This record gives sequence, structure tokens and C-alpha cells, in this order.
Amino acid sequence: MSYLVMETHPAYAVVMDEEGRFLKAANLRYQVGDTVQEIIELRMPRKKAIPLWKPLSGLAGLAACFYLVFFGYYRPNFTAYGTLRIQINPDVEMTVSRTDRVLDLEGLNEDGEDLIAGYSYRGKDRETTAEELVERAIDMGYLSDGDTISITVNSSDPEWRAREEVQVQAQLEERYGESIVIQLGGDLQQPSSAPAAGTEEVVIPVTPPTSAPTGEEAAPVSNPDRTTVNSDTDYGPSGDSVTNYEDTDYGPNADGVTNYEDTDYGPNADGVTNYEDTDYGPNADGVTNYEDTDYGPYNDGVTDYADRGDDSDDDWGNDDDDDGNWDDDDDSDDDDDGDD
Amino acid sequence: MVRTEHSIVGQVYAAKTDSEAADALIGQYIGFIRSETVKFTHAALEDGHEDELSIAMLAFYEAILSYEKTKGAFLPYASRAIRNRLIDHYRAEKRHGNVVSLHAPAGGEADRSLLDTLPDTRDEIGTFEARTASQKEIREFGAQLANFGLSFSDVADNCPRQERTLAACRRVLDCARANPALLEKLVETGRLPMSELAAGSGTDKKTMERHRKYLVAILLAFTNGYEIIRGHLCQITRAKGGEGK
Repeated sequence: MSYLVMETHPAYAVVMDEEGRFLKAANLRYQVGDTVQEIIELRMPRKKAIPLWKPLSGLAGLAACFYLVFFGYYRPNFTAYGTLRIQINPDVEMTVSRTDRVLDLEGLNEDGEDLIAGYSYRGKDRETTAEELVERAIDMGYLSDGDTISITVNSSDPEWRAREEVQVQAQLEERYGESIVIQLGGDLQQPSSAPAAGTEEVVIPVTPPTSAPTGEEAAPVSNPDRTTVNSDTDYGPSGDSVTNYEDTDYGPNADGVTNYEDTDYGPNADGVTNYEDTDYGPNADGVTNYEDTDYGPYNDGVTDYADRGDDSDDDWGNDDDDDGNWDDDDDSDDDDDGDD
Repeated sequence: MVRTEHSIVGQVYAAKTDSEAADALIGQYIGFIRSETVKFTHAALEDGHEDELSIAMLAFYEAILSYEKTKGAFLPYASRAIRNRLIDHYRAEKRHGNVVSLHAPAGGEADRSLLDTLPDTRDEIGTFEARTASQKEIREFGAQLANFGLSFSDVADNCPRQERTLAACRRVLDCARANPALLEKLVETGRLPMSELAAGSGTDKKTMERHRKYLVAILLAFTNGYEIIRGHLCQITRAKGGEGK
């Protein structure tokens, strides 16, 4: 292949090959018009192909960021995880995120709406809000010494609920425990109407005994069951003020005799327990007859698994020919039952 | 130092597209190129190492074309490019290792080298004349290209590299040669008669558009006069593998 030099530059020459290609090549002291046989061709820089994962990596990074923000920040902070209901007399429910951020505050009765009117919970956590609400209730006269605050925590996560209950209780007790009763009503749906057995009650009786009647006057609505007379401990049906602590005879014939010694619960309560008699058979003759496994109607002590054809031979049904074959259809005659 | 680096980046980017700026930049940095070459040859360049200098300059030009400023400073990159290109060159030359130099002493008499013993077959005057003639023709050709706003460098940059594209361009050329009216139209209007050529050669218009500069040059070469250029081109089209000039 020969090349015609068309143009020369300090660093390269433009040459034309015989096929009409114009090329740039090293200028080895060429002159225009020269014909050369060998050239050192210029290498054109190659365009780099963009790897396939490059645009995807951006997308993946974006997705990862979104994931982190959503699950690491948004969900624990801005989605409802449980509710905390505070009942003083005002009934207030706050919706709380997992990280104890108050998301919503709602008054469940008129007083409750009155209590939270004008109160901003934005950006506050559960602890601050609960404290400030109690403070507000005291200021507005809903809450005074000896009253009870009932707290109900609800969530689908029982662990979180238990933790929250403990924390709220500890927090409020630390602050107001000396004058106010804090009561957990976690299991209740309607704690004010029917306080049931599950209620944990924390009573810190620091209030002076003289103030007890005034306390009763002040808060009859919040806690009707606390007005029961303490001295009457007779829970029996008769309510006759007699506790009958001594009478431990719960038997039907409450004759005051406990009959501890009589352990004979048998039908014929003859005072004999009959522990030794293990013969439960029909004819209770004191013999257990363990060996006799013949439970059949022919109670002869022989376990014949055999023919019940009433003719004391071991064949079935109509095949009564005493040959021991099962129904070989030879039962035409010569047997003694005469059925054919 | 930092400032020069800054200015050289701008110069290099200008030289990527402008061949005059490239020539100027290479002229400015010829000392750097020489020193890099000497580091490799360990001998004076005038001492039979002129080819290495040329290759180093070509490598410098290649470095200009492929430089990206986000990937580092230019001069270290150019230095590395020159070294690599020279190493490539030496490896290519090694293939001719078992060739006796013409300058080797020719035994017998002390002063004569092998070169002197060969009969001088070259027609010095003939080649000189031929070269002068072709030089004149190429100048003319270059001037006409300049009328179209083209230089040989532009044409070389626009030249098809793939064999298939080159064949397509040659089909266009054949079509134009078949009806010289198209060639005249090109010279007169200074525009490539695209649709006629596309219809006549069956080449995609998009391909022609992409290699418009090259097509203009190669069609111009076949218009009038340029017999030496045409002769050079026709060597292979007529007599395949014909002996070079």
C-alpha cells in the first residue's frame, strides 16, 4: 500500500491511501507530494461506552436513600403507633408515634376538648405533653389533690404498650405522685363505668386523713367505686355484715362440720374408701379377673374367635358344613340346620 | 505552575478541534517532547533518532486528542503517552531485527559500507520532478477544498473508518463518475447533490450526511485535472495489488 502525502503538520501528515482514505500519520520528515510505503497511523481516541450499571446505580442510591428516610425517620416519627388516653375528668386521647412523638390530640368529652383548646402539641413528645396537660388540668381546676388520673395505653405492640405504661406512670408519679393518684387502666375499654379486676391501682396515700372526706366530695364522678365503706368486708351474698371467717365449711350442707376426715366420695358414702377393692367389674366380688379376657357373651373363659353360627363349629354364615372352609358354596345339603 | 497548568488545559481543548492551535501548541511544547524522547532513547536525537522524535510528536498530538481534564494534569499524561508510543514503535521495529544495516562495513576495504556497493537505481531527477508536479497538483486541490471551507485535516477526521462505510462512499463515487453532470453541479454550486447521489448509488442519505466532507473531497479529486491524485487512487481500483509507484 502506498500513500500520497497531502498535507504536513509539525506533528502529523495527512496522507491518502490508494483506496481513497484520508489518514493522519506520523510525519517522518515528509514533504507534500511524497509517496510513502509505510506509515505510522494516528490512533483515534475511542469513545468510551457508558457501563450499563451507571444510570442504574443512581437509581439504586436514590431508592436506598428513600428507604432509609422512610423506615429510619418517617415511620418511627410520623406514623401512629399507639394511643395514650388520659382521663382526669377531661378525657383526652393522644396518638403517639413509636418514638413518643405526639401526632394528634383529641378531646373525648366536653371537658377534654376544653382542656386541649388552644394547646399546641406540635413537635412535642409524649412526656412533655402529658405533663403539660396535667399542669393545665390543675390550672383549670379539673384536678386537685387526691384526685385520680387514669391512663390507658393502647397499641398493637404489647411490649411497647407495657413499656409506655411504666414510663408514663413513673413520670407522672414522680411529679404529682404526692397529691394525685395515678391509675393504669390498660385493659379497660370503659374504665370510668366498670373498673374490672385487671386494673392496676397505685395509690400513694400521702394525703392527710382529714382531707379524705373532702376528696370524696370533690371527685365522686371520676371514681364511684372508691366510695365503698371500708369497714364492711363482707362480700358474701347475704351481706349480713358477718364475715364468717371461721366458717370454712363450703359444703352443700353447711352444717359447720368440715368433714375433713371423710374422704369417701363414693356413691354409697359409708365412710369406707375401698381403696383396696380394684374390682370394677359388674359382679363386684373382689376378684379382678385380669386373666379372663373373654369378654364375649359366652363367658366361659375361652377366647374363641370363632364361628358364632350356634352350631359350635368354626364356619361362617350359611356355610355350615363343618369343613372349616369359608363359604365354599357347598352348602346344598348334608348339614344339620336344614336351611336349603 | 498551577497557572500554566490551567492555561494548558484551555489550549489543549482548543487544539482538539483546531489543527492550527494544535500545531502552535506542539511548537510551544517541542522542548518537552524532545526531552521526553531523549529520556527514552538516551541519545541525541540528531544521531539517527529523528523517527523517534516524529513518533513522540504524533503521540503528543494523540494525547491532545484524547485528553480529559477531569482525569488529571495534561503533561504527565502526555509524557506517559509518548513513552508508550515509543515502546510500541520499538516492539514493531524488533520484527526487522535480523536485517543487516546498509551502513554496516562491507568487508574488504575499510571505508566502504554496504550502501556504497549497491548500484544506484534511483532516478533522482525523475522523482524530484514527479514530486514537484504532484506537489503543485495537491496545492491546487487543497486550494479548491479551501473554497469549500475544508482542509485536509478536516477531511481526514471525517474519513470513514469502517470498511462497509468506505464501500458505500465508493459506490457514491462510482455513481458520480458514471454521470459527470453531477460532478459539474458540485463544482458549480459548491453543494453536494445529495438526493441524486443517494438515488443513483443506493446509499443511505444519513451515511452520506455523516461523511459529507470526505465525499466532497473525493468527488472533487475526480472533477478536472488532478491526474496524479486520480492515478494514485486508480492503482488499486484497476489493478488490484498493483505495484506501488
